[in-house]
Amino acid sequence: MPRLARSEWYDLARDMNWKVSYVEESDAWPDELSTAKGIPMEAWWGWDEPYKVSYREYVHNQAGKDASVYAVNSVVARSKMFSQLDEGWKSAILAHYGAIAAAEYLASIGESRMGRFGRAAAWRNMALYGTLDEIRHGQIQTYFPYGLLDREPRADWAHKTFHTNEWGAIAARHLFDDMFTANDAVSTAIQLTFTFETGFTNLQFLGMAADAMEVGDIDFGALISSIQTDEARHSQQGEPTMKLLIEHGHKDYAQKLVDHMFWRSWHVFALLTGLSMDYYTPLEHRSHSFKEFMDEWIVKQFLDQFRDFGLEPSWYWEDFLKETNWYHHALHLGVWFWRPTVWWNPDGGVSPAEREWLEEKYPGWNDTFGRYWDVIAENVRNGRPELTLPETFPMVCNMCQIPLCNPAGHAAGHLDSPVPLVHDHAGRRYTFCSQPCKWIFEQNPGRFQGHMSIIDRFLAGQIQPPTVPGALAYMGLSPEEMGRDATDCSWAFANGTVLTRGA
Amino acid sequence: MTPATSTGARRRARTWSLLGDVRRKVTPYEAVTAKFHYHFRRDPAPFELDPEMSLNRWYLRHRENSPFQVDDWEDFRDPFKLTYKDYVSLQHERELYLDGLVDQYEVADVTARLDEGWVETLRRLFVPLRFPLHALQMISLYVGQMAPSSFITNPASFQAADEMRRIQRLAYWTKVLGNTHGDHIATTAAAHDPWAEGGEWQPLRETVERLLVTYDWGEAFVGLNLAVKPALDTLIDWQLGELADRNGDVFLSLLFSEFERDARRSREWSAALVDYALTRDPGLRGVVTGWLDVWTPSAERACDGLAPLFEKAPEPIPAADVASAVRAQLAQLRTTCGL
Repeated sequence: MPRLARSEWYDLARDMNWKVSYVEESDAWPDELSTAKGIPMEAWWGWDEPYKVSYREYVHNQAGKDASVYAVNSVVARSKMFSQLDEGWKSAILAHYGAIAAAEYLASIGESRMGRFGRAAAWRNMALYGTLDEIRHGQIQTYFPYGLLDREPRADWAHKTFHTNEWGAIAARHLFDDMFTANDAVSTAIQLTFTFETGFTNLQFLGMAADAMEVGDIDFGALISSIQTDEARHSQQGEPTMKLLIEHGHKDYAQKLVDHMFWRSWHVFALLTGLSMDYYTPLEHRSHSFKEFMDEWIVKQFLDQFRDFGLEPSWYWEDFLKETNWYHHALHLGVWFWRPTVWWNPDGGVSPAEREWLEEKYPGWNDTFGRYWDVIAENVRNGRPELTLPETFPMVCNMCQIPLCNPAGHAAGHLDSPVPLVHDHAGRRYTFCSQPCKWIFEQNPGRFQGHMSIIDRFLAGQIQPPTVPGALAYMGLSPEEMGRDATDCSWAFANGTVLTRGA
Repeated sequence: MTPATSTGARRRARTWSLLGDVRRKVTPYEAVTAKFHYHFRRDPAPFELDPEMSLNRWYLRHRENSPFQVDDWEDFRDPFKLTYKDYVSLQHERELYLDGLVDQYEVADVTARLDEGWVETLRRLFVPLRFPLHALQMISLYVGQMAPSSFITNPASFQAADEMRRIQRLAYWTKVLGNTHGDHIATTAAAHDPWAEGGEWQPLRETVERLLVTYDWGEAFVGLNLAVKPALDTLIDWQLGELADRNGDVFLSLLFSEFERDARRSREWSAALVDYALTRDPGLRGVVTGWLDVWTPSAERACDGLAPLFEKAPEPIPAADVASAVRAQLAQLRTTCGL
């Protein structure tokens, strides 16, 4: 072992800051790749990461971590564990792999942007670890589903989702490109690391890891909990960046960056984690409800973060808290109804026992969302599965790219109006699901205005033939891949009625 | 619509469908590296935002419209076929070796026995190196984020990490030297000031600053990996290693030999990439050599600036020998690339 402690030499490995003079500073750190808000370069040099690690410590630690996670996978791959998993849980992990695996790899691009265009050597070094971490996460989260391909062809979506125009893929790409793949270094530090990785990845990676261990899916549990240990380290690039912005009078700007990305992350994770936790995870293995996880790991965490940095809770905070009661339930209804449009098998997850749990966790659920499921279940029991499937498509929000479920939110008493928001800009009409989605657009229309949602494309004639099958083909879903109910609607027959297959 | 039905004879997917009808076995390296950059040549723009937003224009200009194009980059393979797992496993082993090496020479208290003249050479030539090496780290990450395939992004990212590895070992030893020969060695100013103002360092600083703002991804790759980095690697890992050896500093000589392993890996994947591109489009030869006509002389001038410092060591190497070693290495790499 080297004799000197890291603290004795570390500063000499992160002091490589100098004023460029053979080229313009504004060319070396262009604003579009590193929006500095006029803060002088020398001020950035005080950027100080709270978590310090050396290269040798990094490779020693990571080699050990990888060895143990791959060892678990190697053992599990030879077992029958996957085939014995609950069908709803399989849906949860297939949804996860599709939405997250390639996205994590792409986060390495955002980290590399900070590694090149970050404005202090210390920051650029931390971002380099982030680059490596995200390559790890992309590779490990495709390696595991790769091993499932023989048993589960839908595992292919771990790799191909981001190459398709499946609507959830568009929503994920739009979010993650906005957050890191096509974001400047300073905004990436605030929006990817401060906003997303300190909160929402806990939700998906620690929350789902807890559920995975309950379910007995040690493969997935070991995988995502190992990933989260990396996130906890590289997410800390946000804090010193935030401090600098605030010290130099840009608190409002920083607040806007947070408010923008918090809302967007919330919507996509309500879709991904909300459904998995409250409907797909087997009832007996649910450690907490999605709302309880949200309260513990998002609401509390962010209120603490806001307070610590002298920021305000986002202006839409009350609306956000309200949405935690209903939004993902409305999404679940929509995703289940439009199940042929997703690459996983949505689990209705509304047997009498599950409804009892939902009512306990979300008082009033039976009288609101339960009423829709009463009709659906009756149609299933009556052998009319075609009545539970779509003939058309819903409108999609021009910001989050998620179908609008305002009518369900209104009917459940949570929204004043069932009507979506419209906004006319530069000769085009945009539709938004919520005030925050509209606000994000208005803050920076040039970033979003030319983008076409899947419904815009449909209406513009870009999807041919303009029918449901035509749209499913556009989304890249083969008939074998289109989602079905994960348990052939067994939840509708929990009182012992004979199953009608084919829903 | 009617419910989706399950087909009885579902095709068993054995590899990713995006890899097509692959007859041979797909390796784990390929399975976790192929086709991750969904945004390359995507229509209507790389990223799922306004097609005209700034980063879309940046990538279109500097990547899709770079002169360095072939029909498909996805068949390129890093000769070392490194996944993340392989990279950290490899470097874990190499760092264990360096931990042992440092330990051995610290126990022997070798820095106390170094000639003062040699320490002075180290102060002028070794201590400031972390600045240009950090610039190489930055540019590697630029090449990685702009590359059209993960098969290129990944070795470029690992190369950036190798630079950090080298910088940290230099920083560590700078502190060890400072503890023995005076704190003034182990300060920011001791490295920054020569880098920012020392005459010997200015050609190198000018070169790397100009490379920092070379945003065409192909030119950034060629300028870095075929010119500036191999020149500097030769100057440090080979020539400075040789100089250390002549001056009885066995530790630094061994340390630089270790870094040469990383440098060789960089040269080999770089040459493989050039070979891949030229095989697919022989017309790219002119593009690459055009860039080399700019960056090779610039890299040579950068090293020429530092070469006189080699003459000031107690046991010197003539500046002309250092300069010709750099030129020989660049020429050899060019030959390896078939240029």
